[in-house]
Amino acid sequence: MNQTNTVEEIVSQPYKYGFVTDIETEKIPKGLNKEVIRLISNKKKEPEFLLNFRLRAYDQWLKMEEPDWSGLSYTKIDYQDLVYYAAPKKDIKKQSLDEVDPKLLDTFEKLGIPLSEQKRLTNVAVDAVFDSVSIATTYKEKLAEHGVIFCSISEAVSKYPELIEKYLGTVVPINDNFFAALNSAVFSDGSFVFIPKNVNCPMELSSYFRINSGDTGQFERTLIIAEEFSSVSYLEGCTAPMFDTNTLHAAVVELVALDQAAIKYSTVQNWYAGNEKGVGGIYNFVTKRGECRGRRSKISWSQVETGSAITWKYPSCILQGDESIGEFYSIALTNNLQKADTGTKMIHIGKNTKSKIVSKGISAGKSKNSYRGLVSISPNAVGSRNYSQCDSMLIGDEAAANTYPYIQSKQPQSNIEHEASTCRISEDQLFYLQSRGIDFEEAVSMIISGFCSDVFNELPMEFASEADKLLALKLEGSVG
Amino acid sequence: MKSSAFCRNWLKSLPPTQGDLQKEQVFGRKRLLEKGIPSPEDEAWRLSNLNRLNEFFALPLTIKERSNHHFPEQEKSIKRLILNTNKCILEDILPEGITKLSNREIEENIGNIIKTCNIKNDLAVSINQAASSDLLALRINQNVTQSLEIIIPSVQQQMISTRVIIILEKGARLDLLEVILGNNQSAQNHLIEIKLEANAELNHELISFGQGKQASSLSTLAVEQSPQSKYSLNSLHQGWHYARFEPRIIQTQGDASTTIKSLQVTSAKEQIATHSLVRFEGPNGRLDQLQKAVATDSSHSIFNGSIDVPKKAQKTEAAQLSKNLILSKRARIDTKPELEIVADDVRCTHGATVSQLQEEELFYLLSRGINKEAANSLLLQGYYDDIISNFSKNAQRWNFIEKLIKATNK
Amino acid sequence: MNLSNSEILLSIEDLHASVEDKKILYGVNLIVREGEIHAIMGPNGSGKSTLSKIIAGHPSYKVISGSIKFKGINILELEPEKRARIGIFLGFQYPVEIPGVSNLEFLRVSTNSRRNELGKSELDTFEFEELVTESLKIVEMDPAFLERSVNEGFSGGEKKRNEILQMALLDPLVAILDETDSGLDIDALRVVASGITKLSNPNSATILITHYQRLLNEVTPDFVHIMANGKIIKTGNKELAMDIEKSGYELINKRTKKKEVAK
Ligand SMILES: Nc1ncnc2c1ncn2[C@@H]1O[C@H](COP(=O)(O)OP(=O)(O)OP(=O)(O)O)[C@@H](O)[C@H]1O
Ligand SMILES: [Mg+2]
Repeated sequence: MNQTNTVEEIVSQPYKYGFVTDIETEKIPKGLNKEVIRLISNKKKEPEFLLNFRLRAYDQWLKMEEPDWSGLSYTKIDYQDLVYYAAPKKDIKKQSLDEVDPKLLDTFEKLGIPLSEQKRLTNVAVDAVFDSVSIATTYKEKLAEHGVIFCSISEAVSKYPELIEKYLGTVVPINDNFFAALNSAVFSDGSFVFIPKNVNCPMELSSYFRINSGDTGQFERTLIIAEEFSSVSYLEGCTAPMFDTNTLHAAVVELVALDQAAIKYSTVQNWYAGNEKGVGGIYNFVTKRGECRGRRSKISWSQVETGSAITWKYPSCILQGDESIGEFYSIALTNNLQKADTGTKMIHIGKNTKSKIVSKGISAGKSKNSYRGLVSISPNAVGSRNYSQCDSMLIGDEAAANTYPYIQSKQPQSNIEHEASTCRISEDQLFYLQSRGIDFEEAVSMIISGFCSDVFNELPMEFASEADKLLALKLEGSVG
Repeated sequence: MKSSAFCRNWLKSLPPTQGDLQKEQVFGRKRLLEKGIPSPEDEAWRLSNLNRLNEFFALPLTIKERSNHHFPEQEKSIKRLILNTNKCILEDILPEGITKLSNREIEENIGNIIKTCNIKNDLAVSINQAASSDLLALRINQNVTQSLEIIIPSVQQQMISTRVIIILEKGARLDLLEVILGNNQSAQNHLIEIKLEANAELNHELISFGQGKQASSLSTLAVEQSPQSKYSLNSLHQGWHYARFEPRIIQTQGDASTTIKSLQVTSAKEQIATHSLVRFEGPNGRLDQLQKAVATDSSHSIFNGSIDVPKKAQKTEAAQLSKNLILSKRARIDTKPELEIVADDVRCTHGATVSQLQEEELFYLLSRGINKEAANSLLLQGYYDDIISNFSKNAQRWNFIEKLIKATNK
Repeated sequence: MNLSNSEILLSIEDLHASVEDKKILYGVNLIVREGEIHAIMGPNGSGKSTLSKIIAGHPSYKVISGSIKFKGINILELEPEKRARIGIFLGFQYPVEIPGVSNLEFLRVSTNSRRNELGKSELDTFEFEELVTESLKIVEMDPAFLERSVNEGFSGGEKKRNEILQMALLDPLVAILDETDSGLDIDALRVVASGITKLSNPNSATILITHYQRLLNEVTPDFVHIMANGKIIKTGNKELAMDIEKSGYELINKRTKKKEVAK
């Protein structure tokens, strides 16, 4: 028996969210220039400050060069060949769910995210984003009772412009990087969360992103603000149909935590990864960053990355407030010709700040899975600590696992500890499970889940089993 | 570009190309003219103090002078070679079993190890090729066991460029102690190429002390290991205003064993960097690497450690650990392991820590009545111990423990 | 219980085997019938664990020639999980740690796979917890161990108890216990021994691989085999085990050789 081959077969599994919803969409013509930006802004009836924000970002973007990361080669994107705005044609701003096109509701139901009152998930409020537009948000009223704002960012722009003006672009500046600048210029929609002082958000908040059009770039923008002594847990899920062209997804997520606030941000990313020959799939170039502005604030990222042709993503924490805490828990599974370059940056600025990184990479097929991290302790960050652990598991002799943990310290009273290992599924572990009657496939998936358990434990309850299933699905070889 | 100007002027100041190494000189000078000096965008040089690199080129190349260093007395049984002019030691009598390579053999071998190690475009290598006018090329004959000492003292206000090739034939064993010493306002560039044939074993000790004001060093170590060979490096780097050490070790068919134990200690405004690379070109290779650094005052310590395990290197076992102490508020430590692994049946681990001396340990000693300075010194000694305890008696004559403690216990 | 007319469970004939191109077994013969208890003893490195792993189907070990039959069926082609399901159990000399995999979940999945084979219904989490609580008593194990990862951080003795717990749950027909008694303190040894006794029944058989008489004092073997250099060189009853305890393998080896020469 060739163990490697069999494990590889198990890891390969057809994508089950690849369908396209047949719905009339309104798209603006392809191409990008100031007129297009004005058009987008106009369509969304945005205030002047936001149009200016976009235009400034566009100017910056023009001056920037598309990054050329080592080891991440991809067919260059023709930015004039993309559509920068697409939305279901029928009027999108609905007062109630009953008015939403049933096709859209069906789509989300098929994806396991029922929105209707009877079926919706209890204890999770969902913002469903279809192509560039948020189509529905559940439990809005209940949240409003607690003063929590959870809506699409377009809605927030019109209802709470002062919050947007105050916070947008303050964590990820418009010129932060090429894709962030592009996003700032053309972002279409996304989610907005505001948790007022002293409120613990009564339920999980969740956005579900669905790309439907093939030639449309995806530029969501998410902004989450947790005021003093508040807390929130936010989940993000993503899927896309199978197209044989590459779709660009360049989102920006900004988190702000004030004094003693806590934000937990979890992602299960399952964008279409392309086929086994590497044709098609999403380019996932995302900028995610959280700022612990307040004392004792806490931001925790957890992510399960299984999709996309190329992922380039480093959810980061700027630990500005004294005694603030940053965490990053990640599982990245790559197969076929997928490339994932992911990791985190923990920037310790405040005193006694702490960070923890746990990263598990699994690479199969001819894929390439890299952990790239930065832990930086600045001279003022007295008493800061970091602990990182990154483990890689390789399946098959053509998969690559790279680890680039970069550590920089300018503070004697701080501690940084980093551990990493690379291994493959141990034959002895497999045999032990098999000799107890557990079949090969199940044994493999048990060991991989076990390998990832440190991260699963950090996912919200509702999500953990979902993520485990997703991983198991990828591993099981059975078509769902 | 300003930086290139430094380099061009330096190139102009060099004597005309000549002698046995003429081809190399032509090649190195051409390369430097074309490529110039790296810029800060160049990832491998990003953290390097490029001003100091430019200063490196400001010093004229030594031609003949001998300097008056005072060296510890030598062990009688061990041959000591001193390389400090570019015309070195031709007159020395070599110990039994060690022979000089003939001109023809040099011709045959030169450049091979550099090529295997893929460093022919490296800056430090090009500088060495451009400047070196002589070469110490030795062979340790089959199954011979020998010891050797090579001392490279820098010359005040000058630059020296030295190059050594050592080939260990099948089953040969060598204990090699290399000592590189700085001087006031000195620059030294050293390239050592080593080839270990099957079953050969090299125990390589390297003591690299800046001593003197504004001493700088660029040194490259290229090692080619055949199957079943053993290479072990114990190295110390301290006291350089600017130093960059680049060990490149290739196991050409895997199945060899490599050990690296390295300590670098920086104080004042020094910057010392180690950029190591170990690549396995075949299965069953072993690596055990421990890299320790201590930084105090306003100094800057850099470590970049690549480990490359391609597909053909199944069953590789590699472990790398980078342990760092940062002792002052203005000091800085950068450490970056880089692991690239494509083979699946491998066991690779790496780790990195940055911390200060442990308070509890310090407290424990203080509570036993030991004063702070002595306690610190004890703890530092303990910290240095897993590197320096590996050094031979012969190397210990260089009294480095004292130096290291003095540099860091303030 | 030496019932030579009862059914043969396991029969091994002239088994030659190797691992990593190194030959280890040189013609092992063994017949195990229902209701029997066998002990296999022998010096370190003689091939006892190798034999047990081959019976359980470890992929690294290659059978060169010979056969292993379970109830008359050739099992050499069966996957290890299939062998477990039909009732072959191996208690490992070195139980493997599997980080992150819950012990409880592992036990449940494996128990159900055996039940499936027996045509019994699968147990859900609650039913299983009831069953496992009962079995825990046999090995006097703290339920807290169920919450931990498989064998991870278990002490040597705890790992061995966990093995017996699995044996209790899987209810095998042939249980091979590879040095399950090593590293146990007196109390644990008693627990393990009484576990083995409780779990054995007239339809099943047990093979104890051990170095010590003390386990055999508690569980009386019907046969004692001495293995050396990849072969069973001598078979006897419990007296043989006592002999070894007294005089060591060296002597027995010599005597056996002499006999061979005499023949
Ligand atoms: N995976 C393996 N690779 C190489 N050699 C092996 C392997 N497994 C077993 N061996 C060798 O086979 C021989 C028999 O080993 P085995 O474990 O079967 O002995 P044993 O009788 O169980 O010994 P002990 O009483 O010490 O447990 C030993 O020499 C051992 O080193
Ligand atoms: Mg054994």
